[in-house]
Amino acid sequence: MLLAATAVPALAHVSDRAYVLLLPTGYYLIGGGLAVWLSFAVLALVPPAPLDRLARWRSAGAATWLDLRAVTSTISFLVLLALLTAGFFGSRDPLSNPLPLVFWVFVWIGVVLVQGLFGDLWRWIEPWYGPWRLVMRLLGRPDARPFLPYPRWAASWPAFAGFAAFVWFELVYIAPADPEKLARAMAVYWAVAFCGMVVFGHRRWSRRAEFLSLLMTMVARMAFVDIRRHRSGRIALRLCLPGARLVNAPALSASAAAFLLLALSAISFDGLMRTFFWLGLFGVNPLEFPGRSAVVWSNSVGAAGAFVALWALFHGAVRLGARMAGQGPDQAVLSGRLVWSLMPIVLGYHYSHHLPALLVDGQYALAAISDPFAAGWNLFGTAGLHVAAALTAGADTAWLIWNIQSAAIVGGHLLAVAASHVIAWRCYGSARRAAISQIPLAGLMVAYTVFGLWLLSTPTGY
Amino acid sequence: MSEKRSKTSILTGNVSRRTALKGLGASAGLTLAPGFVRYAQAQSSEPIRIGFQAHRTGIGAAYGRWYERTTMAAAKAINAAGGINGRPLEIVTEDDGTDPKRGAEVVEKFASQHKVDVVYGTLFSHVVVGAAPTAGELKMPYYVVSEGYHVASGKLNRYVFQPGITDVKAQVSSMAPWVTSNLGKKVTMIFPDYAFGHDHRDFFTEAVKAQGGEVIKHVPIPPTESSFTRYFPQIPSDTEVLYHVMVGPAVLTFVKELGEFYGGGGPKLFGFIDSLEAVDMASPGLEFLDGSHFWEGMPRYLQADAPDYVKAYRDAVGIDQNGASVDDPKDVSTAAHMFGCWETLYVIKAAMEAAGYQGPGDRQKLIEATEAMTEFAAGPEHPQGKKIFNGKLHQCFGHQYISQVSGGRLEVVHRTEIEDSMYEPEGDYTTQSL
Repeated sequence: MLLAATAVPALAHVSDRAYVLLLPTGYYLIGGGLAVWLSFAVLALVPPAPLDRLARWRSAGAATWLDLRAVTSTISFLVLLALLTAGFFGSRDPLSNPLPLVFWVFVWIGVVLVQGLFGDLWRWIEPWYGPWRLVMRLLGRPDARPFLPYPRWAASWPAFAGFAAFVWFELVYIAPADPEKLARAMAVYWAVAFCGMVVFGHRRWSRRAEFLSLLMTMVARMAFVDIRRHRSGRIALRLCLPGARLVNAPALSASAAAFLLLALSAISFDGLMRTFFWLGLFGVNPLEFPGRSAVVWSNSVGAAGAFVALWALFHGAVRLGARMAGQGPDQAVLSGRLVWSLMPIVLGYHYSHHLPALLVDGQYALAAISDPFAAGWNLFGTAGLHVAAALTAGADTAWLIWNIQSAAIVGGHLLAVAASHVIAWRCYGSARRAAISQIPLAGLMVAYTVFGLWLLSTPTGY
Repeated sequence: MSEKRSKTSILTGNVSRRTALKGLGASAGLTLAPGFVRYAQAQSSEPIRIGFQAHRTGIGAAYGRWYERTTMAAAKAINAAGGINGRPLEIVTEDDGTDPKRGAEVVEKFASQHKVDVVYGTLFSHVVVGAAPTAGELKMPYYVVSEGYHVASGKLNRYVFQPGITDVKAQVSSMAPWVTSNLGKKVTMIFPDYAFGHDHRDFFTEAVKAQGGEVIKHVPIPPTESSFTRYFPQIPSDTEVLYHVMVGPAVLTFVKELGEFYGGGGPKLFGFIDSLEAVDMASPGLEFLDGSHFWEGMPRYLQADAPDYVKAYRDAVGIDQNGASVDDPKDVSTAAHMFGCWETLYVIKAAMEAAGYQGPGDRQKLIEATEAMTEFAAGPEHPQGKKIFNGKLHQCFGHQYISQVSGGRLEVVHRTEIEDSMYEPEGDYTTQSL
């Protein structure tokens, strides 16, 4: 995405799609949609209790009292400082400067995936906690009591606003990979969030107002590692089935639900905005893509429109399902719990969409971190790494990557159907009413499966 | 280490500067050699800073990667031989996102922030057209490597040059004599329906006519099209040559469907390698192209009769016999275009030396010295071949290659004369004030 964005966003290779166009992707679209629909049909016919038991299953656990969070977070903060310095003073080339590569590839693609598989790593590596502890001590508050209570009415809207700004920066802003511009944006955001944490408390601000932390903790609910921290300070690690923890997640507030929907609409729009279809809508010639500066307005409107459309579709499907099932739980609670079932789709598409960038830009990142200031250093021995920039090119690789992507998309949707099924059963308490209530949402998920696969197979302009 | 890094896309200005300084120290004796006497008196050992406007991200990134590799290889070679006027070359890379607006910003940044001596290396035409006015306003010499006709059209300004790669009008027109006398005189053209395709349509139709042939049908394809079978019935049955210049992600689909349509028969095919630049010719789906012909700016595959300086150039850039990276056979280069970076840097070097260039105060002298050049001899500095430079047009003219697809390779069958590609000039930049 970044450069990727490739990387950021920008780095994907135009020519890879040429090989995908030769594949029989139409069958995948039909097959993927059918698979999701069939899985819903099967779930509707079998009793949900065994699935619910599966979701509750936890392995025997391991425990530790060792929590070096302040230390790891401080290290992370120092790394961030070094990266920002490189962003300001290192190479101007976004494929040589470690800041855009590390942020867009390692953090935005990599850490999100790690969170989704292995749990809340972010808690230890986020760059605010350590400095916050230190500053609170210096301010004479060793108990870290906040100066002001976090206003309840704000809910998670500050995080939503921050995330929306981030999505705009990633998808629409003309130079998200420019080292200096990215460094400036990151430095400002770090400082604003840090002030928020000092004033309103680290925990509150991280859970309600800091979008990266909120997103990361949400994604971590997908993981097959269940990490629990007890008041005693003991940390318990147990294994569970992927996505199992979504079904017992507390209902999200309207703002947090909107936040999660934004995560899905943003990643979808990231794919959509590159397609011939989308560019054609605005009269942009995809063979001569005029550059991001020419599509700032259409993509701003598109990114916002994608969110509004998904928000309306999701809430519409839940509401319609509730009406069909008759007499159920409170609508807000129902939406707030069911929205969790979209998380596997977010993660599946995040993985599929960014896989090529991860493979190629990841190499650039490895090379760049060894010589962050382009001064001829070789800190980790990777400075001379040959970047296999065509790693994802060629017919065989295109076939392999397409199949991996399809599996991730369809797998994500299957998990989503299963999760929403169990959640609905828990909400309605009746297998039959739960199944009926799920018909519109399952229809939406089938459509989204086909849409997701189409995004990865249709020709793109950049 | 710097040697190893130069093969990757991650070399940056400061690193090459170190390499440069090292190289200079090692070859200090060179400054005493006869050819270097003049530069021994160079007043400064500060590097000459070349602002490299690179397409690192955006639609041009695949081209940009190889432009970067070629640029770094040329800079290294120049520095190893003593630099420019006794001063090392430093490449300062800025990404323009293949975006005209950013392109203009990058040129400005090069002038105000990086304080480079010249700006160089832009490829995509719309970025050149977007950034050239800024170069003119800032009086910043701007050496592009774009193959667009925009420079030679006389519509840019006195600070913009294209001395290292020929323009599309010259390329296309020079194909007509060989095509009409070897493949056939009745031509149908199939092309994407926008400026790039229109250039081919206009230049080739006219050139074929001048050769006594005829373009009997134009088949424009909407740029958003990704399936082509329904357009093929428009190709007249008496077509002898099908001239195709499709580009973009649907090119492989185009070739596959064309093969299915003709089922092994059909007219002779002639295309521009722009369609398949950086694509392995042995890719599945391209079998139908076997035996057909392509224009190449410079042969991608190492030819049996290649001179030593061509081999040296290919080694320096790091491409193997198939024109792919020596470190990664899947990474096929943009061989038909990237030589332009190498040659342009050597033109900048020659112009700076002729002008006795010392610093930004000498930019006007540099412009005039570039305009005064007339010819670049084939050799290590111009591995693609000899060039004739028109100082009024700011554009070079050179040989073009016609290659045949054979067993998943491209074999050169003809090299055009430089005169085949020359046309009546439409402008004269030297009449503009500096």
